[in-house]
Amino acid sequence: MSASLPPPPPFSGLARHRWATRGTLFRFRSPAFWLFAAIVVVTGVLSIEQQQAFRDLSPSGWALSWGLLALYVLPVLLLVSVLDLYEREPLSLLAGAFLWGAVAATTLSAYANEGWGLVVARVGGPGFASRWTAALSAPIVEETLKVAGIVLLAILAADEFDDVLDGFVYGALCGLGFAVVEDVFYFIGVFGGTPGGVLAGFWVRVVSSGLYGHVLYTGLSGMGVAYVVSRRGQEPLGRRVGIALALFLAGLAGHVLWNAPILDLFPGKTDGILDLLRIPLAAAVKGLPLLAFVVVLVRLAHRRERRWLESALRSEVGRRGLTAAELGVLLDPRARRRARREVGARAGPGAARVLRRLQREQVNLAMAGARATSPEDPALVRQRDYCKSLRDALHAIPGAAAAAPGPGPRVPETTSGPTPPAP
Amino acid sequence: MEARADVPSTGRALLATAVVGGAIAAVVLGGYAIGGALMGAAGPPIDVAGVVRVQPLSGWELAARFAEPPRARLTRGSGNLDVVAVPFAGPAAELARQYVRAVLEPEARQLSVSREVERVTLESGLPGVRIAYVGLFGKAQAPIEGEVTAFVSPSGVGAVFDAWGPEGVLRYVLDDVRTMIERAVIG
Repeated sequence: MSASLPPPPPFSGLARHRWATRGTLFRFRSPAFWLFAAIVVVTGVLSIEQQQAFRDLSPSGWALSWGLLALYVLPVLLLVSVLDLYEREPLSLLAGAFLWGAVAATTLSAYANEGWGLVVARVGGPGFASRWTAALSAPIVEETLKVAGIVLLAILAADEFDDVLDGFVYGALCGLGFAVVEDVFYFIGVFGGTPGGVLAGFWVRVVSSGLYGHVLYTGLSGMGVAYVVSRRGQEPLGRRVGIALALFLAGLAGHVLWNAPILDLFPGKTDGILDLLRIPLAAAVKGLPLLAFVVVLVRLAHRRERRWLESALRSEVGRRGLTAAELGVLLDPRARRRARREVGARAGPGAARVLRRLQREQVNLAMAGARATSPEDPALVRQRDYCKSLRDALHAIPGAAAAAPGPGPRVPETTSGPTPPAP
Repeated sequence: MEARADVPSTGRALLATAVVGGAIAAVVLGGYAIGGALMGAAGPPIDVAGVVRVQPLSGWELAARFAEPPRARLTRGSGNLDVVAVPFAGPAAELARQYVRAVLEPEARQLSVSREVERVTLESGLPGVRIAYVGLFGKAQAPIEGEVTAFVSPSGVGAVFDAWGPEGVLRYVLDDVRTMIERAVIG
């Protein structure tokens, strides 16, 4: 069904930032792309060698590690995807963020942690170093190297960092990549690599602690990067950088607390079921405060994004691309899913796919409106026409028109008339 | 996959990329640079039996001397380096094994020694061997881990460097210890 859909409008004219155009990691004329790619390729080779060494050391443990971690990655990806409701980020940029965390940040951190560990040992002595190196060197090194990748993405695709929630999505994926590769290292190198050791590692690092950690730390840093980029022209540079720094430091503080030998309620060794049950409690003591902080920030960012979407689309209601009923559905994620289910039930899965695409393009209509210099900007008009053609295609499917969101108040189709009042 | 799009690079993009690249390099290499700068020599060289000389690095000091066999103990916090000098004719690997049998085993309640023997070389070019161990010594409840490095000079001087510390601590002094051993003068 979707094969007969009208083609999307060209994106030329939508770009606002000089550094980039929309939608992809592969911007070959951007220096940030080449630095990003060079680091990922070089560290990727080293990373593959390390994985081969783990596989040779314990083939079954290595395979089990990746199998178990897939169980962790999939729900986190789903969660991040749910957060990214209003404007889907380009897949190549999302993959780039994940890859940076998994390959570049982990490999570079391994070298850097060794060097900064020497500094802690030489300044504080071996006794101090054995207790505090993990808290003093690793958080600074790892958080800096992870956020460096997000900054590179922001340089080469600034127009994809529309709000702080976008930054959280990129940062969280970067942190997820880091966490997964680090977990494999721990399962094999610290927990022994046997199937029993891997399962123990999975219990400690994923089941007990998976809600906290790198996803949160880098998610916060990513929000800071997005704040700097997306508020350009709205707030002075000093304030934007200050807030970004505060968010970075919040993530850093969470990481320091996690690694520090304070509030440490983890059992020294696990002799029975009670010790095993103590582990998630001990992890919660260290991790829950930061998780709560991030949840609050993400909710605030989500509300802000919803308000932005509503205000950006209000002036489009009644034009060719959007009806009042469609806007109401668009602003409520549950209503969106319900509408797709109803259309799917009445007119088949093809119709549901068309509706999904219409909803996505109506969100893109908001983006186009935000970038347009006038209500009749050619790119904006093209996007309206595209949405209309999708709606027409949807209504042409038997049974779909009755189930799709109602038309709502509309004005005669025009490209030069006054903006209709908000519903 | 999304449509690929090329855009002209700008001076600002180049500058921003260079700053990020510089920050990455500083984080990755900075620790080694600062750690190296902190690794200065401290105090006069420690002489053992007039045939082995070790220059302590910053933070290390002479803690004790023992007579039979001639031995000096350098410490830094809970990290230690015992330097032993004995007359010896034979390969360095045999000297290391004899040290384990004669010194470590009698003092240990429990001892595991690595099967792998690592080849090492002094700055002067003298070859030697290194083995690792972990065990319970004396009345201490916590395991001690260490590594024994042995050399035999052409003039028949055997030198044993025994770096040891509580489990988990040794790794934080190993870089210092290995540097002091590499720079040691034997014979």
